[in-house]
Amino acid sequence: MAVNARQGYRPGLIDLRLGEISREIFVNEDVYAQEQERVFARAWLHVGHESQIPKPGDYFVSSMGEESVILCRDRTGRIHVFLNSCRHRGMKVCRYDEGSTTVFTCPYHGWSYGTDGRLVGVPHFREAYHSRLDKEKWGLVEVAQLCNYKGSIWATWDPAAPPFAEYLGDFARYLDLQLDGWDGREGQAEVLGGVQKWLVPCNWKFPAENFSGDTYHNISHRSVDLAGIGPSGASRRDMGERDASRKLHVCIPDRGHQTIHYVLPAGQMPPPAYLNAPIVAEYFRHCEEEKRRRRGEEARMVGAPGEIFPNTALLSRQPRTMAAWHPRGPHQTECWRWFFVDRDAPKEVKEFLRDYYIRYSGPAGMTEQDDMENWNYAHAASRGTIARRYPYNYDQGSGTAVTDYEYQGLKVPGEVIDLTEVQSSEQPMRNFYRRWAEFMEADDWSQLATWRVNERKAAE
Amino acid sequence: MSAPINIRDLAPGTSVVLAGGAEAEIIDNPRDGIWLFARYLSSPRDPTLVGQEEMIFAQDVVAVGAAALGPGRL
Repeated sequence: MAVNARQGYRPGLIDLRLGEISREIFVNEDVYAQEQERVFARAWLHVGHESQIPKPGDYFVSSMGEESVILCRDRTGRIHVFLNSCRHRGMKVCRYDEGSTTVFTCPYHGWSYGTDGRLVGVPHFREAYHSRLDKEKWGLVEVAQLCNYKGSIWATWDPAAPPFAEYLGDFARYLDLQLDGWDGREGQAEVLGGVQKWLVPCNWKFPAENFSGDTYHNISHRSVDLAGIGPSGASRRDMGERDASRKLHVCIPDRGHQTIHYVLPAGQMPPPAYLNAPIVAEYFRHCEEEKRRRRGEEARMVGAPGEIFPNTALLSRQPRTMAAWHPRGPHQTECWRWFFVDRDAPKEVKEFLRDYYIRYSGPAGMTEQDDMENWNYAHAASRGTIARRYPYNYDQGSGTAVTDYEYQGLKVPGEVIDLTEVQSSEQPMRNFYRRWAEFMEADDWSQLATWRVNERKAAE
Repeated sequence: MSAPINIRDLAPGTSVVLAGGAEAEIIDNPRDGIWLFARYLSSPRDPTLVGQEEMIFAQDVVAVGAAALGPGRL
């Protein structure tokens, strides 16, 4: 169901025509409670990566919304995602972050589950239950749908949700930039080291909208640019490819996904980077050549921060990371960040990138610290009775997006704003909140799959 | 009352005696302190269990090794 721009989710909360959004959607506890049911129980959510569970019995405890879930590989090698809650009295059956096991045993009364989720152990099964408990019925709760997309694991609780590839739509090309090898081979990424996790006292939508493509806040990273943490020792990144490209905002309007995106001129290779590390520089130069050979014109696409609705952030350009913004109440978000490298990259390259990733991203990363500061205090200053009366402004660049963008022969699907001259727009945020409002209003996926309605109308 | 047995320390191949008098050999230990995977070697009350593999609850393990039991102990 498309949201009327004059009305939006509950009149007065989201007004896309005026470019105004009420602070209530960030701080109101009723809105937050509804989000858990209407957004997080229905959307596809990122759970982890297969490289985190390479062997049978391996597991990684993740989150889907507020729910603790277990991503695991069973004895036959099949991947599952289970609710981390015993069917008897609800105790977590796994209280580690990750590991390997043959069974998940509830420490409360001892019910025990195989890595395929089946209930296999019930204390005093013969004596107390008289062998009558139906173990098949009382296995761990499994997600309704799971998708292994180029090694990244996604899941939804809603059996009526469309398949993940359909959920992505035209945004798949940006997730591909994250997960494919830098040399253009499919699905070559692996997770480097552990997942960094930290709490920020803000609503989960602050980081989600920031990573949707907020280029306007670059000023808050000025000190990092001055410190020069980038891979060549200047600024916070190697900016050569960005400076040579058209800089775009790309929004997929009926999906709620959006990103910053750079497109290199036809025939132009990315300028040299990693200038202080010859092995790394040579590795990426070689990869760029291979990518150009494999992908042709598509190799002109350069990834940048983006957001898959609702709470997964991409950063496929360096530092190459993904993040999930887990809601922990209306006023707190648990941020998780995965760090990616090509799995067969040389050891020197992985070590160089690990050092760079850590000084850029995560709780100790200088750039991410700037973001946390902003979200923290913006949220705190929006909670008061008076503050809540005044909406935020999302009007920047309203009405300037085009749907047939092409640059030197490379077509870019979706709604596009060319930022190369204008520097910034808030189209990605409007796109994100339009979709958020649709989730909050729709009764089910028959209304949420708006593209199916449009395709049906076009066919008629 | 005898001290509880720490089943986390029991290696595969060890035989244990269960409440009710059955004896079983450990085939795997997940070391969660609650369960053992074991195969029944004897079961006076239900001989059909002999040879079957089953998860054994920690509280059902009353002794380690048949030799630990004297005649009529159970």
